[in-house]
Amino acid sequence: MGVGKSQFSEEELQAYQDLTYFTKKEVLHAHQKFKALAPEKVGHNRNAKLPMSKILQYPELRANPFGDRICKVFSSSQDGDCTFEDFLDMMSVFSDAAPKAVKAEHAFRIFDFDGDDMLGIGDLRQVVDRLTAPQRLNETDMQQVLQYILDEADLDDDGALSFAEFEHIIEKSSDFSKSFCIRL
Amino acid sequence: MSGGDRKKRACDRGQGWEEAGAEFYQESYPAAIEADLQQALQRDPSHIATLLPSKKSRVATAKRIRNDTKTTLRRRTSTRSRGTTTSRRMSTNIHDAAVSMLPDLSENLSNEERTWEEIMQIKAMPVCMAQKIQLKNQLQSATKLRLQGFEQLKWQRRKAWQQFRIRMKEAYSKMELWNDSLKTIGGNFGMGIVAYFLFIKWLLYLNVLLFAIIFLFIVLPATLLDMPEDETCVNSNNSHSISCCSELYWNMTQESGNIAGILEYTLLFYGAYSHMTYTSGIFFNLPLSYISATVGVFIFSLIVIVKSAAKSFKQRVVENEGQFYQYCNLVFGGWDYCIHNEKSAAIKHKALYNEVKAFLEAERLEEERQNRTREETTKLFLMRLFINLIVLAVLCGCGIFIYYIFEFSFNQISPQIDETNITDSHLSLNLSLNRIVHLFFEFLPYMCIVILNFAVPSLFRYLVSLENYSPSFVIRITLFRTVFLRLSSLIVVLTSFYRLIVTEVKDNECTNNTSKRPLCWETFVGQQFFKLYITDLFFQFFMTFFINFPRSLIAKHTENKVLRFFGEQEFDLPKHVLDVVYLQTICWLGLFYAPLLPLIAIFGTFVLFYIKKFACLVNSTPSSKIYRASKSNAFFMLILLISFILFTVPVGYSIAEIEPSKSCGPFRGFKSVWSLLIVVFAEFPDWLQSILYFLGTAGFGVPAFVILTLLLYYYYAVSIANKHMVTVLKNQLVLEGHDKQFLLNRLSAFIKQQQDQNKYHQEQANELGTFS
Repeated sequence: MGVGKSQFSEEELQAYQDLTYFTKKEVLHAHQKFKALAPEKVGHNRNAKLPMSKILQYPELRANPFGDRICKVFSSSQDGDCTFEDFLDMMSVFSDAAPKAVKAEHAFRIFDFDGDDMLGIGDLRQVVDRLTAPQRLNETDMQQVLQYILDEADLDDDGALSFAEFEHIIEKSSDFSKSFCIRL
Repeated sequence: MSGGDRKKRACDRGQGWEEAGAEFYQESYPAAIEADLQQALQRDPSHIATLLPSKKSRVATAKRIRNDTKTTLRRRTSTRSRGTTTSRRMSTNIHDAAVSMLPDLSENLSNEERTWEEIMQIKAMPVCMAQKIQLKNQLQSATKLRLQGFEQLKWQRRKAWQQFRIRMKEAYSKMELWNDSLKTIGGNFGMGIVAYFLFIKWLLYLNVLLFAIIFLFIVLPATLLDMPEDETCVNSNNSHSISCCSELYWNMTQESGNIAGILEYTLLFYGAYSHMTYTSGIFFNLPLSYISATVGVFIFSLIVIVKSAAKSFKQRVVENEGQFYQYCNLVFGGWDYCIHNEKSAAIKHKALYNEVKAFLEAERLEEERQNRTREETTKLFLMRLFINLIVLAVLCGCGIFIYYIFEFSFNQISPQIDETNITDSHLSLNLSLNRIVHLFFEFLPYMCIVILNFAVPSLFRYLVSLENYSPSFVIRITLFRTVFLRLSSLIVVLTSFYRLIVTEVKDNECTNNTSKRPLCWETFVGQQFFKLYITDLFFQFFMTFFINFPRSLIAKHTENKVLRFFGEQEFDLPKHVLDVVYLQTICWLGLFYAPLLPLIAIFGTFVLFYIKKFACLVNSTPSSKIYRASKSNAFFMLILLISFILFTVPVGYSIAEIEPSKSCGPFRGFKSVWSLLIVVFAEFPDWLQSILYFLGTAGFGVPAFVILTLLLYYYYAVSIANKHMVTVLKNQLVLEGHDKQFLLNRLSAFIKQQQDQNKYHQEQANELGTFS
């Protein structure tokens, strides 16, 4: 990885290793992937800011119904454009080594479309819609599903899931930490 | 800013805050949380709920992160709120949520170890990299106490250990088998299927370990140590002594020139192992080592399986109320983030849609079931009964068929052996034809078994569709029927062996000639399992590459609906799991008679991975069913455990009861394999013997049993109490939630009222002002 080495100093790599769930080698590997999204831009400036449309070309994100949300959550400028460091953060959270709590935290932000720190009916409806797209559940089915979700998880009956409630579900779901994973 | 808010703030502080500008306000207000509250109330009083500490996601995480670092916990909790505000003031430009997490930097001097711990914790924070780096630099540049002496040493060691772990991880990831394959499979089929391939990998490692045990304790000594020669047959006066029988067998294997004959006396099978004890130089009791290694392998397998099953079982218990969380699970954990292929993504969308529909459907079915009339219930019951009878009949029929095929093929082979032995000078053409026929009859039963295993499950699948079960139950019941078919065919094989083997062998014979018991039945049995394993593996290969592959090709390149129907195949997970478990079961069954079978199994599982990968990636379209990674893992282990326990019984029986053959193997001359252990036991020192003897008596057994039962009951009671506690706490939580809701509503109503009142007062004041 001669190319990668020249773009990062040893200290930077050490810092990245300390601050993410990656080893130095994986950091370099992640940079390769990042560079592949826009070779000419990243070639000049290793920390170039790529627009969301470019980031969404990463295969896993392209296929993901929440791709844009993921970009927005991890973007340091909050508009979906990501620098390499944002990308690294993203991959670190999605890596196998990241603990469930960290994943849950980010998942909550991804699902929280309106950003009010609660998963309300609107958020849940969007999540379900995005999951089943292009098919759509008809209105009665959708109502029923949302009702069931709230029945299951909304412990204090306020019609929305708070983070504590969301985390409670995630704790009980062994699938989550397995499925909320992107292998580099 | 509305007047009401100002008024409220004034009430809070009791001073003239109204004049304060917003910036000043934010800068100097000591409790930042209250500021948040104020701002939110300005916007909408009913939003007060979102400001509760329990609803604050980031704060909650921050708390947890701190709690994780146990050493800092006690000191931290007291200064937390202060710490949060100081850091907030320090970097006002960074956005709110992130900043509230910054740890306390200025207040206390921490020592190096603590700082290091904190740096290691940064990665768990949901802030962007720039802030993390900034945070790290702050932590590093902050003045800190140097650790002295032993503490320093301890810290250095921890640091080194961390480094070492990272190195190991790196090395391990380099070594890890099939990483790319797993990634591709995950990208196309999701984690549920990946779990299946991980299961194959797990079996591969298991087989490697089993082989290592056997190799170390049986094969290696047998090859390295030059076992003392047996006394020759001439010297002994009894022509049917052990040595004579051994010689007879040895001569027979040398004479018959075919492949099976050559293989017969190799280390592959039981027959070749010596029954002598090696005494020159070092003492090595091969028979003892043989039996201990076998028992060891079984115990080891059991422990590993149980441990693995317990892990997934524990998960199941955690989600014990899992049924109630099915929608949440589906919605929040439903998407496989590793999917990187648009086509698979489309299918996944569809599968999720279907799953949601299926859940709703199940709900409706449940309702329907409750509303069913008596007549319909009876009809359905009769239908199910009838189909179950058919299934039972089919299973029995299969069993009987396999049994007779075995009988038939064995009868066909035996005379031919004599024939080839007698007439050596036959025409070579005739001989080779004979051999082919021979080979055909030899493999006939296994081919029948394998074909039945392929044909009957599809019949079952058709039958179950008539029974009108719920979808999840359909999968389970088809699976159990298929398991039963597979296992029953193995049981039939075992019975036919048993009939052949268990006969009285008189003292003046090497083997019972009238019942055609082979000279070395253990080797014979080992060979049968060996053949079964190879046939099955070959059939997997054949079906995948020569039947299913063309089918999938046809499906891909034709528009014809009928052809497409025949060609298209889904990756039917239960069936493939059974394939793997079946092979593994054969390996365990044959292990005692063919010690090198695990080596074959290593090879087999390795090849199987690629066969299944091909079947999955090339032949199949992604399944429209959703397989859950966690559930399927528990399910694999369960099936494996069932078949393991079921088939240790016959192996155990054969070790404990059946008389080993006189002419071969490490146990010739003993009444049973177990009696060797009794002989060894007799050589133990007296005290050990008496202890072990005591362990076997009722005096020990009954109290032990009682104590174990009591313990079991105790744990049962504890678990019941815990369960009760969980429901109580949950109810309490719900109640608290309601209380909170109630209070919040009252509060926001009150605030609103206050605001209105203030407005009213102000208006009045204004009016008064204009008047005066």
